[in-house]
Amino acid sequence: MAENIIVCQDLWHIYPGDIVALHDVSISIPQGQVVGVIGQNGSGKTTLVKHFNGLLKPTKGSVVVNEMDVGTHAVDELSRNVGYVFQNPNHQLFAKTVFDEMTFGPANLGLEEDVVQERAEQALEFFGLDRYRGTHPYRLSLPLRKLVAMAAIYAMRPKVMVLDEPTTGQDHIGMNTVRRLIEKLREEGDTIVLVTHDMVLVAQTADRLLVLCDSELIGDGAPREIFSGDEMMARTNLRPPQITQLSRRIFKPGLPEAALRVSELAEPLAKTL
Amino acid sequence: MSEINKYMLIPIVRVPGDSLFHRLHPLTKLAWAVGGVTMAFATRNPLVLGVVTVVGFVLLFMSRVWHGYLRFVLMFFPLSLSLIVFQSLAPAFPRPWVPLASIGPFTIYNEGIYSGLSLLTRAYAASNFSMLLVLTTHPGDLFAALQAIGMPHEINWILMTSLQLIPVVQREFGIVTSAQRSRAMKKRGFGALLPSMVPVFAGTIERVTQLSMSLESRGFGSKGKKTSLRRVRARAFDWVMGIFGVVVAVAVSYFTIANSAALDWSEVTFMPVWLAVVLVVGSAIAFVSFTGYYIVRAARA
Repeated sequence: MAENIIVCQDLWHIYPGDIVALHDVSISIPQGQVVGVIGQNGSGKTTLVKHFNGLLKPTKGSVVVNEMDVGTHAVDELSRNVGYVFQNPNHQLFAKTVFDEMTFGPANLGLEEDVVQERAEQALEFFGLDRYRGTHPYRLSLPLRKLVAMAAIYAMRPKVMVLDEPTTGQDHIGMNTVRRLIEKLREEGDTIVLVTHDMVLVAQTADRLLVLCDSELIGDGAPREIFSGDEMMARTNLRPPQITQLSRRIFKPGLPEAALRVSELAEPLAKTL
Repeated sequence: MSEINKYMLIPIVRVPGDSLFHRLHPLTKLAWAVGGVTMAFATRNPLVLGVVTVVGFVLLFMSRVWHGYLRFVLMFFPLSLSLIVFQSLAPAFPRPWVPLASIGPFTIYNEGIYSGLSLLTRAYAASNFSMLLVLTTHPGDLFAALQAIGMPHEINWILMTSLQLIPVVQREFGIVTSAQRSRAMKKRGFGALLPSMVPVFAGTIERVTQLSMSLESRGFGSKGKKTSLRRVRARAFDWVMGIFGVVVAVAVSYFTIANSAALDWSEVTFMPVWLAVVLVVGSAIAFVSFTGYYIVRAARA
């Protein structure tokens, strides 16, 4: 089994005013895993992942990322290993052109100029943003700005990428770009943490789901296992993808019990018709 | 203390509470704020201004809204002491100046001490009474009260939105800074200005654009009487407090203006020389230390 790149041990986070946002969470995430963090609004998802790059420090317990204790390292040190893509791209974009936006992160890491250029070019190419390289980011539509923000973090090549609601507001092409990014990062051995309400995305891409409810971790397992847990899903008021719901409803021998993709159900179902 | 105020440098959001001042009618509190600012500008006498300042602090303390404001005061007090330092060396008064003492190449002037103390206490006197209004009043209540006395709806709305926009922008600034630090931005101070301010301003302009379209879509600017969800009723006690506040402000202002000659201590050595030297040197040390601390911090970032 791959070495753990993120280890949370008895993690608590209490905001001022005694607001318990995380209650005794312990998880270990191995290198190269795609992890979906799901739960209702206010369940603690964003609070949890913000510990990974040091934006939040533990109130109790510890978080260690790539052998660096989050409590004793600054955000800019941790950002070498953990890239965080904010939900609202407007919070990150400031440069005059998309290309300049790509170079900001690698330049902050102190990389050589030719490496910075190369990383920027690769990011533009991967995200299909080459034709926008000279465009001011604020002249782009919101879905495109979101891709620019993701590309800008990708250019830093962190070992862990945290994507906060990556498919919100995206069209079909944008969603596919996000899925391709996840698959490519998985091939490169990177770790991805998805904070999302998009159950289809996590069903199709995640190796593992962490389910948060009222600041507690109530579920940790493969998507098929999590989506099959009726009691847990009811407690979180989350619904599995429609294809999963359908497959569970019409289940009989010869059909998958909890399909995660349409293709998983379509072929065996066609054979029974 | 409200959650928003914790993250703000300048607290300008109502702090929930049930003090006497919280329960006063918004226009009564507005009258007190105007009265406080009037008293602050009616005189240059530091003693009178100091008393007004202290009264303001006492009222803030009694209303239990002083935590966030005190944080701001403590942070900027060393900076505001620069008023004493610079005025003492170059008074905003017509010459000739009366020298009090010399420290090396620098001369401390009596008019300068007077002017510095006057400016410092005036700033805090006006600020205390203004913040008392802001920290104890819901913008919606003030909005409804101003509308009831006939203030144009649009102007009223502009004032209220300004109060509410500033905490939003401050919060945005915090989020943007976090986002840029997540991209390994180490720079603080001036170097971090561009990556931090551009998203904030761009976001604010976008927000305002969308807000204006949203407002039009919801009938803002239409003719006719507007109603309000929040209703504010004036009690007899509100009238009493309002009249009391106005009377005191008018009386103090009248007294200070009518006796401006007698209260003008700029030509009198009103402070022992040793105390004046201690005040200027102490202010200089505090100001330089404060400024130096932030310069060093910015350089190390």
